[in-house]
Amino acid sequence: MVLGPSDQAGPAARPMFRRGALPSVRNMNETKNAVITGASRGLGLALARGLAAEGWSLVIDARDAGPLHAAAASLSGSARVIPLPGDITDPAHRAALRDAADRLGGPDLLINNAGTLGASPLPAIADYPIAELREAFEVNVLAPLALTQLLLPALRRRGGAVLSVTSDAAVEPYAGWGGYGAAKAALEQASHVLAAEENVVRVWWVDPGDIRTRMHQEAFPGEDISDRPLPETVVPGFLRLVTERMPDGRYRAAELMPSGVAS
Amino acid sequence: MTAVAEYVDARDRLAFTLPPEHEAHEPPEARGVPRDGVAMLVSRAAAGEISHHAFTDLPSLLLPGDLLVVNTSATLPAAVRAGSGLAVHFSTPLPDGDWLVELRAARDGTTAPYGGGTPGQQLGLPGGAALTLGARFTGRLWRARLSTAVVPYLLRHGSPIRYSYVQRPWPVESYQTVFGTRPGSAEMPSASRPFTPEIVARLVARGVTFAPITLHTGVSSLEGDEDPYPEPFDVPPATARLVNLTRRSGGRVIAVGTTVVRALETAARADAAGPRLVSPAAGWTEHIVTPENPLLAVDGLVTGLHEPRSSHLRMLAAFAGLDLLGRCYAAAIDRGYLWHEFGDLHLLLP
Repeated sequence: MVLGPSDQAGPAARPMFRRGALPSVRNMNETKNAVITGASRGLGLALARGLAAEGWSLVIDARDAGPLHAAAASLSGSARVIPLPGDITDPAHRAALRDAADRLGGPDLLINNAGTLGASPLPAIADYPIAELREAFEVNVLAPLALTQLLLPALRRRGGAVLSVTSDAAVEPYAGWGGYGAAKAALEQASHVLAAEENVVRVWWVDPGDIRTRMHQEAFPGEDISDRPLPETVVPGFLRLVTERMPDGRYRAAELMPSGVAS
Repeated sequence: MTAVAEYVDARDRLAFTLPPEHEAHEPPEARGVPRDGVAMLVSRAAAGEISHHAFTDLPSLLLPGDLLVVNTSATLPAAVRAGSGLAVHFSTPLPDGDWLVELRAARDGTTAPYGGGTPGQQLGLPGGAALTLGARFTGRLWRARLSTAVVPYLLRHGSPIRYSYVQRPWPVESYQTVFGTRPGSAEMPSASRPFTPEIVARLVARGVTFAPITLHTGVSSLEGDEDPYPEPFDVPPATARLVNLTRRSGGRVIAVGTTVVRALETAARADAAGPRLVSPAAGWTEHIVTPENPLLAVDGLVTGLHEPRSSHLRMLAAFAGLDLLGRCYAAAIDRGYLWHEFGDLHLLLP
């Protein structure tokens, strides 16, 4: 038997159907756009600097306009930076972040970095003021989740990613860290489920490790935290995660640090 | 001859009648054959040669420095029973949250093609979910929206898509491959089904390298004479680098499955980096590989045996040429090779 004309009927003529607009294939080496929350200082600003230096365009947010505009002015590189002061728990502000990302062409990456420690000094769970706990969940869980929901359609179209900053307090039972840790654990689980539900968008949640930030200082009021590394030191790990488009999952920034020099 | 006439002629040369005894009706394990115990026909395009092997010969058929690119997409239980004698096959997610779905008529424990359906129609599905049909997308597929997240819904309520040549249901584990880690395919990326941890270990020890891509494959409309449609895919940067390094070093890039060919050939066209260079790329690909559309990134292919007239056969012709491919399929029928997702393999080498 050889291949040859078949005695079966050929294909019937088919009507043409309108397919509607479909996304094209994206070359992932192209310059891209990121939304970073809490980017006026600390880890958020360090990540903004790292991405801007790689040519990314950015939408950055923080509650206080002054430090945010100063941060935007300090970003090097030729990429565009749109600073939008506001509170991520405010739906109108979240919509403005989405609109700004759309003006850049659409988001490829959302970094949920903004967060709150909650009550300081850190109370025991037994005595945690519920109103402050509720606020910690608003800022650390519900707001990033709402922003993620808002950006997901565009992230799907662009083969994008959601990176949420978490903490070892989400998985370790550190005394005093119950409020913050419970909220970060909720953020981690929401991320984990999102990864299971989305089969195009990448979902990462990353523990940066102990770093010298204002939030860390608030957790240890009056203590000298100058032995903790600066946030800039962990940025290469985050950048590697993003540019290599690593699989979905939980990462520690330290394990992502590049081990050698590219040839 | 006009371009259209040439196209029809090429299709006709890929037509043949598949005798029913060549259909694999169940997983090899159910026939007392281990996963990696299937047969493998090997064709070499340059030499025009055909030889017959066990799949377990693969390590000795490849060379140190060759790269096997595998698909990490895992199979979803993508078939759901609807009311009124219908079944829904969830094929492909679209970026706006719609899915491409196929409506099937439930018949004798399996399903048959169904031509009905109207835009705006609502179908009640198990667990209280509702499916709303949008516009028709191809002759076979509809755009549709489910009232809940599709992947978790299918994991709870779906069963693997099964066509009439597979006579009884098998658990979804029968449809998973050793490389499948990201659920998303409507049908099994079946070329990698025979790979076992033992074979992978022997290939690694041989000096063969592996790299992953993801392409979530939809219902088998690339089988048969049907319209292709876009599929989501992802070629990560580390894989793009390994493909380019392998080719620069004189090794061969061997795709495990037609899905891998589609993803890599798309990525090879994603920018002007130059011929035979693959870029990291992602999105929805509509690229079709044919003899007229030459291969830029892939040298060889491990695949199953494909149906008459399918566009997959046109992809295979891009590797082997029509004449050698015709001899391969004649030999496969002569020697009793088995077709479909639980069947035997074909290794196409340059």
